[in-house]
Amino acid sequence: MAVVAPPAELFPATRHTPLPGGYMGKLLRVDLSAGRCQEVNLPEEPILRRLWGGQALATYILLHDLPLDAGPFSEDSPIVLMTGPITGTGLTPGGTKMTSIFLSPATERTLGRAATSGFWAVALKAAGYDGLIITGRADRPTYLYLDNGRAELRDALRVWGKGTRQTEDMLRAEVGRQDARVACIGPAGENLVRAAMLANDYNHFASHGAGAVMGAKKLKAIVARGTRRPPLHDKAALIAAGERWRNTLNVYRSEQRHDVGHGASWGAITRHNWRATIIEEGHTEGFKDNRITQRPCFQCGRLCPWDVELTSGDHAGTIGHFDAGSEWLDTFFNLDIRGNDVLYLSERINDLGIECSHFADGAGLAFEAWEKGLLGPDRTDGLTLTWGDTGTVDRLLEMCAHREGWLGNLLADGPRELAEALGGDALKWVVHTKGGTPAQHEWRPMIGNMLRELVASGGMKPQGGGSNSPPPDLRYRESWGPLDPRQPEGWAWSHLISEQYRQASGLMGACWFAMSQMKPDGLNSMVDALNATTGWDVTLDEMLDAGHRSILLQSIFGTQRGWRAEDDWTDVGPRFLEPIPDGKYAGFTIASFLPGLIHEYYRLSGRDEHSGRPFQDTLKRFGLEEFMEWSEPE
Amino acid sequence: MERARMSAAPLPLVDKEQLRRPYPTGRLLDGKPRAILFDASACIGCRQCVEACKDWNELPRGDHYAIGGSTWLTIEPPVLEGIGSVWGRNSCMHCEYPVCAAVCPVEAITKYDEGPVVIDPAVCIGCEYCIYACPWHVIAKNDVTGRATKCTMCADRLSDGKQPFCVQACPVDALAFGLADEVLGQAAARAEEVGATLYGQREAGGTHVLHVLTHPLAAHGMPPVSLERYPRHHIPLGAKLKGLLTLTGGLSGKWRAVTNAVTKPWRLKYRYWQRPEGANGGP
Repeated sequence: MAVVAPPAELFPATRHTPLPGGYMGKLLRVDLSAGRCQEVNLPEEPILRRLWGGQALATYILLHDLPLDAGPFSEDSPIVLMTGPITGTGLTPGGTKMTSIFLSPATERTLGRAATSGFWAVALKAAGYDGLIITGRADRPTYLYLDNGRAELRDALRVWGKGTRQTEDMLRAEVGRQDARVACIGPAGENLVRAAMLANDYNHFASHGAGAVMGAKKLKAIVARGTRRPPLHDKAALIAAGERWRNTLNVYRSEQRHDVGHGASWGAITRHNWRATIIEEGHTEGFKDNRITQRPCFQCGRLCPWDVELTSGDHAGTIGHFDAGSEWLDTFFNLDIRGNDVLYLSERINDLGIECSHFADGAGLAFEAWEKGLLGPDRTDGLTLTWGDTGTVDRLLEMCAHREGWLGNLLADGPRELAEALGGDALKWVVHTKGGTPAQHEWRPMIGNMLRELVASGGMKPQGGGSNSPPPDLRYRESWGPLDPRQPEGWAWSHLISEQYRQASGLMGACWFAMSQMKPDGLNSMVDALNATTGWDVTLDEMLDAGHRSILLQSIFGTQRGWRAEDDWTDVGPRFLEPIPDGKYAGFTIASFLPGLIHEYYRLSGRDEHSGRPFQDTLKRFGLEEFMEWSEPE
Repeated sequence: MERARMSAAPLPLVDKEQLRRPYPTGRLLDGKPRAILFDASACIGCRQCVEACKDWNELPRGDHYAIGGSTWLTIEPPVLEGIGSVWGRNSCMHCEYPVCAAVCPVEAITKYDEGPVVIDPAVCIGCEYCIYACPWHVIAKNDVTGRATKCTMCADRLSDGKQPFCVQACPVDALAFGLADEVLGQAAARAEEVGATLYGQREAGGTHVLHVLTHPLAAHGMPPVSLERYPRHHIPLGAKLKGLLTLTGGLSGKWRAVTNAVTKPWRLKYRYWQRPEGANGGP
């Protein structure tokens, strides 16, 4: 039973409105239980104009498709994968995004979002589809092969149990098309590790538990190829907008991969299960001598993804494939691993397909519990948990991915579950957000980023974060700042604005890593690219509204399943809100600003600060009246 | 390590001597020769140039590992971008003395002063002579139209004063474009700087695409090509007979081919007779 009655014909048998440029016009419904694939038309233009694509369109479909009582691994719990109109045009940077939406296995009550770039989304459109709606459960390991408008469910027994790298290679060989692109799960997804990843194109990983949802459906991979390209409204204007956009990119340099990752920019990393933050020379030992190769996404000049060949250490010769983020580094720094072993383990976790913060915070807690005598060899399969021991961590990764033993099983479930099983003070040492885990970086010194992590849907891979002054392109309407990094005033609004434009970026099918909102023309060039592609006349205000609409849909999804805004500050692992233990931010915490800061955020976004439900006026303003029963009673 | 053949003394990229060219010539802009520079020491194999070529020319996506009707530019070897570290650029070299144009019986291929060698699909009769004659095997037949297709050096952009779309797409500056003598200087300096060799400067009597290669030719997926102008080639008898005895090219195509043969018989030597080595000049 659908939760909200769908519009008369969400997927019209015959289109009554013209299809805007950029869209292929088709979605594929895949019923794994029945072994059936059915092409349907994309919704009519007015719906596309409001939702664009990506998370918003996928959530809208999920809200109509997912029964209220379904669990994340239920047979009738769909995963919806969606691109946007600028995905795959080739004429802009960042036109690479695919966002998959599902009920989060980590929180079991909020929206899960697994977004990825690379090449796969482009191949999906080349195969003829804007998105996929996958439901049911196959009775044996299966993969979906999409080839130029032809969809086929194939046996995946041969690759079941294989890591993500080998799966990709084997399936590409099996379909016999070198240009086929593969999105797949590793052993972690197969074994329902609740934050298992979906991996694609070697370097890309979508988190939030999409891998587990696919594992529950016995869907090992989706392989796509094709020769089609989306029609464009105004190619010359798109080239011009793409060129402007390209000029705003903050291009990565290879040398940046010699550093500790994202935390280098504010000078703190996660160490010793969040009990130290100081960056030391030994953390990056060997990094600068490694061979780094940049592996950009489809037609993007930002050059985020990279490969590394280790040239020193016990695992010299290992080749690792990474994307924009650097949470892997903080994951293993958090277990006190240093140098090239961090990169070796990073490659291992990606091959197994485990989301890194899920492991980092679970294993970090296990090490601390061992240190403090709360965990002994009887529950670690005889393993001694010595901080910084690469072999032990390597083994724990295997145990987690395969749910081996007491500890492996709980690492697969998540840090909160492990803390509850350990009992005692472990509940104070754990980091989690609503049962999920924050992206693995030392965010605690930064108010905007902490707010983002706390209010994020399922605890992981949040959007927003704010800035201390408005993006240049928004100065026609925003005049605040500079904000004080140590005081809460203004950060809720700053975060909300950033969440809006980041969401909007994904909805149009653009990667938010390719968005340079703090540079002049960073946002305008994106909107102009969208308009040139589709033929619309979207303004920056409308772009922010589209993002806001997506935030509301995300929130309504949670509301329907029992989430309340209060969970954002009450259902949090205490360690995440502790004062920073050392370094230049020592003593700082945003705990004293809570819940005021979160209250303010919800009020500003037109939602009740306790329930998180949108006000009726808010739903009317954003054209979401059909969800009125989930609004806050006035 | 064995290196690609070392270049001898630099030659002018474009021979200014007035030759009786066995094909149509033309001018797009100012008549000054241009060239593309490919720097293998900078290339990361991302294939953004390959997709950009498809985007500008609205060629189908996919099948991007081999030259064909829908792919005019490939990055060699044909492996996924995550594998391999030595890359080559494979596409039309825009020869100064294009043998493809010389063999075309209907004068569908024009050599422009600025460098581009361009096939006019409206004139092409699909006889495949050019496909066999090209020393780099970078001409293919469009599956739908049956006409020969290849890279145009974005002649349509050039006439607007813009650079080829593949060049502007390169995210790591492994591709450059400019006036031929400046590009040659740039290429030579780069080759010296990284201990590489130049390719394309002398091959086939000189081309408008210069490669700075760090490894042996084969590692970059490039063939050794004779230095003579209009390198010797082999058009199979079957293709010739097919052109003569079947409906290929239609009546109008045959009429044009015959007219050309009668009015410009000296051009036939490139099409129908094998020539002794060095007969066409060049080093």
